[in-house]
Amino acid sequence: MRSGRRHLIIFLIGAILICSLSVILLVTNVIAAPIGRVSNSISPEHASLALTDTGPIVSNETCLGCHGQPGLTMTLQNGDILDLYVDPATYAASIHGHGGYACVQCHTNLGDYPHPAFTASNLRDVTLQLTSVCDRCHSGEYNLTMDSVHATAQAAGKREAAVCTDCHGSHNVQQLTDPVTHELLPEARLSIPATCAKCHNAIYEKYRTSVHGAALTEESNTNVPTCIDCHGVHNIGNPTTAAFRLKSPELCASCHTNPELMDKYGISTDVLNTYVADFHGTTVTLFEKQSPDAQTNKPGGYDCHGIHDISRVDDPKTGIDMQQNLLARCKVCHPDATSNFPNAWMSHYIPSPEHYSLVYYVNLFYKFFIPLVLGFMVALVGLDVGHSVYVKSRRGRHLPQPLPSEGQSHLESESPTQSQTEHNVELKTSPSETGEQDDPSENHSEEANHE
Amino acid sequence: MNNTIMETPTKITHSDDKVTYTRFDISQRIEHIVFLLSFTILGFTGLIQKFSANQISDTFIFLLGGIERVRVIHHYSAIVMMIVSGYHVLVLGYKVFVLRLPWTMLPVIEDLQHLIQDILYFLGFRKHRGYYGRYNYAEKVEYLAVVWGTVIMGLTGFMMWNPLSTTQFLPGDVIPAAKAAHGAEAILAVLAIVVWHFYNVHIKHFNKSMFNGKLNRTEMKHEHPAELAKIEAGQEGKHLPLKVIRRRQQVFFPAALIFTVAFGFGIVKFANYEVTALTTVPQGETAQVYVPVTPTPRPSPTPPPTLEPGEEVGAMTWDGYFSGLFRNRCSTCHGVTKVSGLSLSTYQDALKGGDSGPAIVPGNPDNSVLIQKQSLGNHPGQLTIDELDQVIAWIMAGAPEK
Repeated sequence: MRSGRRHLIIFLIGAILICSLSVILLVTNVIAAPIGRVSNSISPEHASLALTDTGPIVSNETCLGCHGQPGLTMTLQNGDILDLYVDPATYAASIHGHGGYACVQCHTNLGDYPHPAFTASNLRDVTLQLTSVCDRCHSGEYNLTMDSVHATAQAAGKREAAVCTDCHGSHNVQQLTDPVTHELLPEARLSIPATCAKCHNAIYEKYRTSVHGAALTEESNTNVPTCIDCHGVHNIGNPTTAAFRLKSPELCASCHTNPELMDKYGISTDVLNTYVADFHGTTVTLFEKQSPDAQTNKPGGYDCHGIHDISRVDDPKTGIDMQQNLLARCKVCHPDATSNFPNAWMSHYIPSPEHYSLVYYVNLFYKFFIPLVLGFMVALVGLDVGHSVYVKSRRGRHLPQPLPSEGQSHLESESPTQSQTEHNVELKTSPSETGEQDDPSENHSEEANHE
Repeated sequence: MNNTIMETPTKITHSDDKVTYTRFDISQRIEHIVFLLSFTILGFTGLIQKFSANQISDTFIFLLGGIERVRVIHHYSAIVMMIVSGYHVLVLGYKVFVLRLPWTMLPVIEDLQHLIQDILYFLGFRKHRGYYGRYNYAEKVEYLAVVWGTVIMGLTGFMMWNPLSTTQFLPGDVIPAAKAAHGAEAILAVLAIVVWHFYNVHIKHFNKSMFNGKLNRTEMKHEHPAELAKIEAGQEGKHLPLKVIRRRQQVFFPAALIFTVAFGFGIVKFANYEVTALTTVPQGETAQVYVPVTPTPRPSPTPPPTLEPGEEVGAMTWDGYFSGLFRNRCSTCHGVTKVSGLSLSTYQDALKGGDSGPAIVPGNPDNSVLIQKQSLGNHPGQLTIDELDQVIAWIMAGAPEK
């Protein structure tokens, strides 16, 4: 009886200990997971977390025993042939291969053999099913893509819309950013347009001929914008909205107002402020600030310069520095424009004696004319004010007390005590100054006559 | 305009404050108020456009309902101001050509003398101001500034309102020049009103004649002593013979009618001269968005072997059907990887079998390991019952290769 009770106590204590231990472990695991998710970086917890799902670690050698053999394929329900071969060298060269990650950390349900039944009915299904595993370690980026135009398209049933692996690849995922600075590596920059071209080839063909695209693809110039500089990376927005269009001048300006960058190519950095100062730019800027989702017919940066096919302004065929090319652009919105019309836009010049001299001289004229006229007015008003202050102070000293309606009553000749005030003096002496005028003092007698 | 402006005092008392003179009749006062309102609205809506980057302007533009609305208000006010100006020209014509009243607003040498006298007076070198007539130099400067300003603003405003038509006749840079002049002139006008008009008419002494039409005798003495003297000497307000006026009116009224019609037509034209721009939004990217590159970026796996020409598709032979079936269902394990030593890649491999014996024994399904394993129903890559029946039938038929 007694030993039975002791056993019960030991059992209870043990149970409590085990329970609390498992609770602590659970809590730390739960905490560890979100922290890892926020930081967007791969932490060892994730690796072990991934492993726990598949039970015992299955080495990559085990997987490659079968999947390292070229020609291993599987025909899916719709007849698509799924290549099950993984080139060990390709994987070893990938960022995950470098990191020593196991196959089963992504293919979490394939740790057992025979593998469970395959539910994907076609190749695209395979990709769409597998891409969700990226979320396990890269949840930050994954969540950003959920806000993207691609995710919206996926949700709308457009299965071809890009998911993680469409851009990053699967077994050949490459390092794209500098591990220390987290900045995009130059070689990664160079590869971006081709990546997007996998699905957006028509636009890529336009970009390739543009001033930016040609510099990137032909000269490997990494200063020029690639797709992501305008469209963003994971949370790529819809570029056909009013909001995107209204924001486009700022997008261009993010590079084109940077003197460090522009000086290399001798390009003006006044492009934004001259645009904003003009009718079109003023409108677009105000719309952007006040009603970012409203459309305006006033052009933003890309309406004049083109979108993906932006060319040098001095390109003889397409450059809008060429009058006839600019006129063609103007006519898109101003169909009745004639050959003089394009000059109504100052081509991003700040007026100077060389460029838009007429505007420069109009400004110069008013720069002197306004102060001159106003100076004259202010001077006269100042003199008048100064004089009345002076007179008042003098009157204050001379008069024992100010009269209630002095301004008017002292005019009357009936108030002889104020004969010194300026008004009386004025009226009394006026005739002598302007001989042909009537003597105001006579007005009084006239008034008396009327009475 | 009637000729009672400079009539003799309407009421006479012993106090100058009670004696009033009609300075502006009701039509002039209304004209002034309409002009004042349009000027104020134009100035306000114009300056917030000129300084739109300023936060205060931004707020006002927002409160007025956005930049497009502000432009519409500005345009309507401009039309009102043009109508008032046109009316003013008509009245001026009547006064000058029919009533033969003097051009009292034209500056004369005397105005310069008054200016010099005033400056000397302010500096203490003289005891009194200039001896002004009906309009002093300050009023003339302001009136002429309004005339000059209205003409400049009207012309430059027309150019900005109708840039396409303007550039048919004038070079393009006239448009930004017009904008520069319009903005600078606006600043000049507004500041002149604030400094000059407000001081002279409201601060120095609140002159209410523009609102109640009258100046009392004291005010007249201060501000227009020469005019007062003239009035009181009976030199003003001489009535012309009615006959003469009638004769002149007969010429003037048709001319005025023509002017009015032409002016009205001009204003309608001014506001609707051209459709400057399409109201539709310029088209964005015209290229098709989703154009995948061909061939598809995913490396294509080796295609299934094609059938020999002339061979019946789907014939119940190894080549015709079963090699494909096994490749689809079994080759994941029993292909190149030969799980349990079995490969079903070729007919010979199948006959040879794996660790458990020959997979296929022609004519003998029961001894074929493939049938034995599949019959259990739990093999990974399980064939369907129909498929299994086909395989059994094929083996019983001697498992023909071709």
